Amino acid sequence: MASIGTWKETVTSPPTEQVAPQPSRVRDHAAGFELSGPGTPVRQLLSTLWRTRAVLFVLARKDFFARYRRTSLGLFWAMCLPLVQAIVLATVFTHVVRISRIVHQAQNAGPHFSYAVFIYSGIVAWSYFSTNMPSAATSVVDNSGLSGKIYFPRLMMPLLVVVTGLFPLVFSTVALLALTLGFQHSVGPEFLFVIPGALMAAAVTAALGIALSAVHVYFRDVKFVVQAIMSVLFYVTPIIYSLSTAPHSIRIILTYGPMTGPIELFRMATVGADSAWPQALAGGFVWITVFLALGLYLHSRFDRVFVDRL
Amino acid sequence: MTEPVISLRDVGKRYLKYQDRKRALASMLRLQRRTSRSDFWAVRDVTFDIGEGESVGFLGRNGAGKSTMLQMLAGVTAPSVGTVRVDGRVSPLISVGVGFHPELTGRENVYVNGTILGMSRKTIERRFDDIVAFAELEQFIDTPVKFYSSGMFVRLGFSVAIEADPDILLVDEILAVGDFAFQLKCYERMQEIRNRGTTVVVVSHNLGALRSFCERGVVMNHGQVIHDGTMFDAIGVYHELMAVPDRDDDDSEAEFETDSMHVLDARLCTQDGTPAAHVNAGDELVYTITVQATRDIDRPFASVLIGTDDRDVLVYSDSNARNSYPSLQAGATATYEVRFRATFPTGSYRAKVNVLRITDDRRRVCIAQAPGVSFYTSGRSMVSGLADLEASFATTGG
Repeated sequence: MASIGTWKETVTSPPTEQVAPQPSRVRDHAAGFELSGPGTPVRQLLSTLWRTRAVLFVLARKDFFARYRRTSLGLFWAMCLPLVQAIVLATVFTHVVRISRIVHQAQNAGPHFSYAVFIYSGIVAWSYFSTNMPSAATSVVDNSGLSGKIYFPRLMMPLLVVVTGLFPLVFSTVALLALTLGFQHSVGPEFLFVIPGALMAAAVTAALGIALSAVHVYFRDVKFVVQAIMSVLFYVTPIIYSLSTAPHSIRIILTYGPMTGPIELFRMATVGADSAWPQALAGGFVWITVFLALGLYLHSRFDRVFVDRL
Repeated sequence: MTEPVISLRDVGKRYLKYQDRKRALASMLRLQRRTSRSDFWAVRDVTFDIGEGESVGFLGRNGAGKSTMLQMLAGVTAPSVGTVRVDGRVSPLISVGVGFHPELTGRENVYVNGTILGMSRKTIERRFDDIVAFAELEQFIDTPVKFYSSGMFVRLGFSVAIEADPDILLVDEILAVGDFAFQLKCYERMQEIRNRGTTVVVVSHNLGALRSFCERGVVMNHGQVIHDGTMFDAIGVYHELMAVPDRDDDDSEAEFETDSMHVLDARLCTQDGTPAAHVNAGDELVYTITVQATRDIDRPFASVLIGTDDRDVLVYSDSNARNSYPSLQAGATATYEVRFRATFPTGSYRAKVNVLRITDDRRRVCIAQAPGVSFYTSGRSMVSGLADLEASFATTGG
């Protein structure tokens, strides 16, 4: 009988050996940080955001593709849904509800004016805002799983919603182009106004979303306040009617609404804008400036402590 | 020590212990100061430096502030007072697979996760094959991760985090996941990247892993650093901490009758009489308990129970009423010894001795509970599981 041997070891692991002096590794100093107190200067917040911008795009891409991953027709739906919506609107408002004539006259437009195009151009901008602004407002809280683990400027979360929302906006803009060609038989270079229109819609959504996302961390009531406001705002924004059809007494409120500017730009691209479009644009820029300033202030104050309340 | 990679100065983190959110807005509108406000310091007065390439382990009971500390090092939350300075890119293994989307394939998730951890697209492309090879997922990399087993998920997450080549790696209980073979592999890989100059900070209850991986140990208690030195000493301090009896430390099945006896002294020693904080597998341990009876006690006997730190019972043994100690009269003191051998794999254990008696109606009741005492066993290599079989391997013929 040959005994191979019994283990008689008492120490589990050998003492870890310190390898001979290493050349100092090159540290990523830019990724370092110094924290004292909850505040983060706005400048630092923005520079960190810029440095980590790749995260924003990779996450936006992920969200977009993950959305259609389980469907067999995939991106077809992204294209199809806005088109269906446009056709329904066109049918309803040209054959069922005869509002188109009033708008047509008030708009003082040419013979090719199509109410279907008019309304869809408003819907494109509005639905971008109405689907993305509420989720941008709750985005910091909604992504608490990610933000509790790793740091990136929290205002990336509302921006992510804004950027991800641009993909469907592109598809509905294509549908808008198809609708314009179908009903007005011609599209001129003015259609390019959809680009500033989309950018402005994104800016308004981002500004409101960034500010509200910070407030929402501390006051969860924000979510429901936003929902309530959105349903009112749909009628207090010139979407199904034009500015000039509205009574004078409330026209000023409509003109300076947050989304009136972007909508007028979409109208400019298709059926022609209302004469009050310069005021509408100016109003939009005021909304953007005020809320962006407020949002940046709140984020710079609470950026690193949001997580304590999630 | 070279210039510190991490330095903390008088760091404190305060949370509001109780906050009535429903009334927050209301009270603000009334411009009223909340009265129910009470502060809780999760971390307090912490100052230390960690140099490049150091590996530091944090120990402490649950709620001692270790996780808050790790969150501050990750930059996720800012200190309420003091300064946290981190020089370099941090990769938190706090939770592997951050941002993994179940519908996306392993490949897509590697890109998403890698970007979140600060890798550029080019870097990910260059290291992609290494990441997949390390995770052993070559065949499944184009499968959506929702079809992955939890082990596969963790492997991929760990693999990305480690290939992100951070300056500072933060690890929270990672070694507790995945199968044994993969744990070893992770562990080797962590040694490797540490030797490349990566600083590693580990929070774990797995003392075996901490001891073999970290030279430096920091023990925290109630938010403060109570020890900062070698890991060997730190484990000793940690065990002293754990030796203080916990209130929630009860054996729910036993019946108690705690007014019959006082525990005057209880200690766990090795055979030569030194307190048993570190022992080697197979060492004989002596648990000595001195009691004083407050009434007459008929034939008491003792039990010993060994568990893990998280209070899982591993083994239980008692001397049985037939093999009892002599009866005690009221006021008499007695010292009982319970001897056993530490036949365990590497790890931290907790020994506890109780004194029991049999009542007239034949129930067993516990009349004295000695505090649980923790000890660390350096097990033999290639032994794992609940206990060391002390098997020997031989062959005949051949």
